[in-house]
Amino acid sequence: MNGEGNSDPSTPKNPSPWLIVWAGLSICLPVLLLYIYSCSSQTIQIAGFELKQILGNQDIDAMLAELDEPELPSTINNTSTTNPQTNTESNVLAMGDDSTPSFINQANKKPFSLPAYELPVFADTTKHRILLIGDSESGGLRYPLNDYCLSNGHKLVLSLEWYSATTFNFGRSDTIQKIIAKYKPTYIFLVFGLNELYARDLKARKIAANQLAKKLRGIPYAWIGPANWDEDHGINKVFQSSADSATYFLTKKLTLTRAGDGRHPDVQGYRVWMDSIAGWLQTSARYKMAMKPPRKRGRPFRAPIITINAAKYRGY
Amino acid sequence: MQPNTVDTNWINQIFAPLHNPQLLQNIFGYSTKEPWFFTEFSFLAVFGVFLIFYAALVQKNTWRKLYIIAFSLFFYYKSSGPFLGLFALMIVSDYLFALAIQKSQGTRKKLLLWLSLSYSLSFLLYFKYANFFIQNCNELLSTQFTQQDLFLPIGISFYTFQSISYLMDVYRNEIPATKNVSDYAFYMTFFPHLVAGPIVRAKDFLPQIFTPQIINASLYKESLLRIITGLLKKLFIADYLGKYVDIVHELPSNFSGGENLLAMYAYSFQIYFDFSGYSDIAIGIALMLGYRLKENFDNPYAATNITVFWRKWHISLSSWLRDYIYIPLGGNRKGEFNTYLFLLITMLVGGFWHGADWRFMFWGLAHGLALAFHKAWKQLFPNPKNQWYSQFLSTLLTFNFVAFCWIFFRATSFGSAFASIEQIAFHTQWKDFTGFWLSRQEMGILLSIAAVIAFFPPNLKERFFQKLQILPTFTWIIWTLIALQIIIQFKDDVVQPFIYFQF
Repeated sequence: MNGEGNSDPSTPKNPSPWLIVWAGLSICLPVLLLYIYSCSSQTIQIAGFELKQILGNQDIDAMLAELDEPELPSTINNTSTTNPQTNTESNVLAMGDDSTPSFINQANKKPFSLPAYELPVFADTTKHRILLIGDSESGGLRYPLNDYCLSNGHKLVLSLEWYSATTFNFGRSDTIQKIIAKYKPTYIFLVFGLNELYARDLKARKIAANQLAKKLRGIPYAWIGPANWDEDHGINKVFQSSADSATYFLTKKLTLTRAGDGRHPDVQGYRVWMDSIAGWLQTSARYKMAMKPPRKRGRPFRAPIITINAAKYRGY
Repeated sequence: MQPNTVDTNWINQIFAPLHNPQLLQNIFGYSTKEPWFFTEFSFLAVFGVFLIFYAALVQKNTWRKLYIIAFSLFFYYKSSGPFLGLFALMIVSDYLFALAIQKSQGTRKKLLLWLSLSYSLSFLLYFKYANFFIQNCNELLSTQFTQQDLFLPIGISFYTFQSISYLMDVYRNEIPATKNVSDYAFYMTFFPHLVAGPIVRAKDFLPQIFTPQIINASLYKESLLRIITGLLKKLFIADYLGKYVDIVHELPSNFSGGENLLAMYAYSFQIYFDFSGYSDIAIGIALMLGYRLKENFDNPYAATNITVFWRKWHISLSSWLRDYIYIPLGGNRKGEFNTYLFLLITMLVGGFWHGADWRFMFWGLAHGLALAFHKAWKQLFPNPKNQWYSQFLSTLLTFNFVAFCWIFFRATSFGSAFASIEQIAFHTQWKDFTGFWLSRQEMGILLSIAAVIAFFPPNLKERFFQKLQILPTFTWIIWTLIALQIIIQFKDDVVQPFIYFQF
């Protein structure tokens, strides 16, 4: 232990310091090679599997920046193409009074869930810029919503799919404000709650839901409740009480066919769900909009999508 | 290793970091957001270069020692920034205290020991426990003390325990105090064990300073294999399991009983693979420099009872607690009741060491009670049956007890822990597991792989690693390349810090 000094005879001689050089090289060379490869435009594929580092940290701002600049209208689209003479009755229902925007109506508060084609078609054909925000359910709902948008002249400007997200993610983060500022939607669809059916801390969630509702102020929205696969512990009531009157669609009353996981609706389930929402939007929702049933289903989805995984992203 | 968009001028992209005005700041600076981990590829690259220069100094004792100390201090600076000064102060004062203790006799010696221990512990108590005491004092006595905004220096729990072991060993005349401050600095700062253990004993490590192992081909392969295994354990298994655990523990009442139960098992494997992965990397890196650190894990989940578990889990900590708390208290020499009492005290200290929270105390208490219960059981039934089924049942029981206790370790609060337990106890149904499998198949597969590895017979594991070492030396660059590419390909986007960094 006290054998200090360079010429200590007890020091074992390494057979070859070159082996240590080799050890160093066997660590830093692979790292260097992989770094160069990650910079290169070449990609090696093995059996169709791409060998490359795929993702970095999930940064919402960077994701937003990477997307193309949204095509914003010169003035926010609020013009109705409806012929007032042919749709007088419907418009009276929709208009409320002079100071109220055409899509605001407070007459009906209870959502219901009949398929759209059984309902009278609402006359207001305002073309909306629709923003879809939600948890994994929104990922399934976006396709039938896309069909409705294309058939009714609306534009789906962005689909933000925040997997495993809860009210806390939506209420506490500033992600929604950022997206609203960037995409300037005229109508927002909120679809979440499936991860909170068993939530018991309803007080905390109520606060977060109120925070979320505040973020939406000034923009018409439809707050779509979760597609319950089991009885919830009150999250629907929390959402309903936080949302403005007649803006909450109580999905739990619907019977939807489910995907293999037993939780998410399947393709047919999402279609039925969207049909019910469309019917409600035309007749009973506070912020009404034209949602005629699409003639063609399964049309290509071209709107930008942002996906976030709440398990990785701590955005609040 | 940043993700890249495809760029035709990719050579420029390779050298882009060199044009970054913040280059020097990035290399030499300290950032609280990006402390250096062994899992950082930048660390591995720098370590590789460090090794190449190390080869030139390996046969020159003083230079080799100073070179490693300098790199270790740099490593610590990258992890904890200005707290390097505090660490250096502690090293110098411990060194002086140890010399003084060695020269003293009788009461003076004892006094010096207490003074030095109090001094060493004061840093840990302040940074780690001050807010805990203030908070509890405010709650119990309705006082209005303000909580401090304290940053816990990384590794302080580990190096404080090392410092205590050194001072006590000198006091007991088990080792002589180092005559040269650089020897002690080498022992304390040696970067492989610096930030999260294993807690190295001076008597094991100091003799190695001037007689490191001869780095031959077999040692080189063993060390590289340990590093790669550790990286795979951490980045493949622990981090992915952690994703599921995080989701459930964010709000356990959101999830069914079955999901909570699986999260309990997932965390048991996560913490094992995380910490044993870290220990593998640390041991591998030390070995590559010619120093052998003691093993920290020995298939702990295969233990047939809780006493054996603690001989196999975080061995450096459990043996430290035994040698510096349990035995000095009296061990089993002061009657049956006192033995149980000392066990409880030791495990409470062990729990408290992990964090300033009642949850950790509770975790330690539960383990202490289990150890005491097992001791009593052994006295009642001194000759247990060694049939395969009794071994199997004992292992199952021990593992489930340990996994259950981890709930308190992982939960964010007592409320959250009890919510998780409530879900497991009263809301578990068979459909939870089928639902879990349908919606999280990858997690189910990963959980099964983790279980198989954790319970795999150790002799088979050893044989497997021996087979791997037959591969020729010159091919190891290629194997490392392949292993790293696999790690990059499959690792999670966000590498979680090692769990034990926070302790």
